[in-house]
Amino acid sequence: MTALLPEASSVDLSDLEFWALPPEQREAAFAALRRDRPFAFFEEPEVPFMEKGPGYYSIVRHADVEAVSSQPKLFCSGEGATSIVNLPAELNEFYGSMISMDDPRHAKIRRIVSKAFTPKMLEAVVDSVELLCEEILADARKVAEQGDGTFDLVKHISAPLPLRVICRMMGIHDEDAPVVLEQTNFILSGGDEEFITDESQAMMQIIQAGQTLAGIMERLAEERRETATDDLTSALVRTEVDGEKLSYQEIASFFILLCVAGNETTRTAISHGVFAMHQFPEQKARWMADPSLEKSAVEEVVRWASPVIWMRRTATQDTEVNGHQFKAGDKMIMFYNSANRDEKAFNDPFTFDLARQPNPHYGFGAPGPHFCLGANLARREIAVAFRQIFEKMPDLEVVGEPDRLKSSFINGIKRLPVRLGGGA
Amino acid sequence: MSEALRAHVDEQVCVGTGMCEATAPDLFEVGDDGTSHVLLEVVPPELVAAARKAAEDCPTRALSVSDG
Repeated sequence: MTALLPEASSVDLSDLEFWALPPEQREAAFAALRRDRPFAFFEEPEVPFMEKGPGYYSIVRHADVEAVSSQPKLFCSGEGATSIVNLPAELNEFYGSMISMDDPRHAKIRRIVSKAFTPKMLEAVVDSVELLCEEILADARKVAEQGDGTFDLVKHISAPLPLRVICRMMGIHDEDAPVVLEQTNFILSGGDEEFITDESQAMMQIIQAGQTLAGIMERLAEERRETATDDLTSALVRTEVDGEKLSYQEIASFFILLCVAGNETTRTAISHGVFAMHQFPEQKARWMADPSLEKSAVEEVVRWASPVIWMRRTATQDTEVNGHQFKAGDKMIMFYNSANRDEKAFNDPFTFDLARQPNPHYGFGAPGPHFCLGANLARREIAVAFRQIFEKMPDLEVVGEPDRLKSSFINGIKRLPVRLGGGA
Repeated sequence: MSEALRAHVDEQVCVGTGMCEATAPDLFEVGDDGTSHVLLEVVPPELVAAARKAAEDCPTRALSVSDG
């Protein structure tokens, strides 16, 4: 990276406009923070109708993120993991589900679904991922051929693949899938004007989106109580934790979590991967020529994309992280995007290297009990998506800039124009 | 050559991320209880490296390997 480092003191991570800056400028700002202010303190962003909290420390170095993430007793999630501002308890649990819980409750809830996401169980899902991907690519080709050869990669490939996979795993009916996509977009819009048109209405829009998804869940849960299948919704309605069935609220928030997390992250990884291979064509050629690169290539795509930018923790007692003192109640935001570009953890972190080894990235979160539930599934989806794109659309090329989501939380790409047919 | 390597899962900590199963499927499997189980009492020589890697990479640090 050659960009001049900005003054670390001028960076404000709470300013939504910071997240609208070009990626190189944001990377430079994080590089400056890693170098000069590794535990920088920021005022909390203003959220309408919410009381402004005491502020937070940004955790930007790989080693510091690891230290915080791997000590859940010292740095808890239960005060909220996906919101800087402390949400009312009901909202925190509703939108965070087990992400905003601590063990032992978290572990009990998570183990209900762990089995469905293990490598061996996913073997059974792989064939359907392959088939779904074939259908999706065929549909995308039709769009290109019926038009001027171009299509939006996000709309026609990277969004529908994880959407249809997660809907299938959860048992959501095909006709509900578009609603699921639309509502998860709202929930993780991060304040982007395309989704949240009126900032004062943001919270209301997000609540409505949650209610819409809960409505889909309610109908489905009713069906599964009558007739259980092997899908995740059946597991949620059937299961007991400490001798009790999950409450309506718990099932709804679990359902929302799986919908949101299953959709918004892998989509982002695939979109960034395609764009990165446009920027680094020699890497694309390398992977196309050598399918055995798949394992390391998928990891590098995830490192490069860093789909989820941060998660929050709260200190449970006075403690320290690599020499920095924290007080009980201090909030810390772990910036995975920054850890994934830390010069001390990666050789040439700004180089996209599909053979990168070792690659201790935190794209699925850092060590700890909240490590991404869907990591194995996401790896499969990304691997299948690129294998099929190389095979069936070897001439796919990016023909415009990505339209990026203005969000501090999700490193999203809303649209990425691509073309088939080698520009004929 | 006398030492036998054994793998151990701390069930209190394990949440069944399945990373060990991905690294060494013949040695680890997440069960219906959502935690990982060691399939072989003694780690066979050809799986020693994989077992050590799985322990090192376990996101929850629930996995350990030890001699004897």
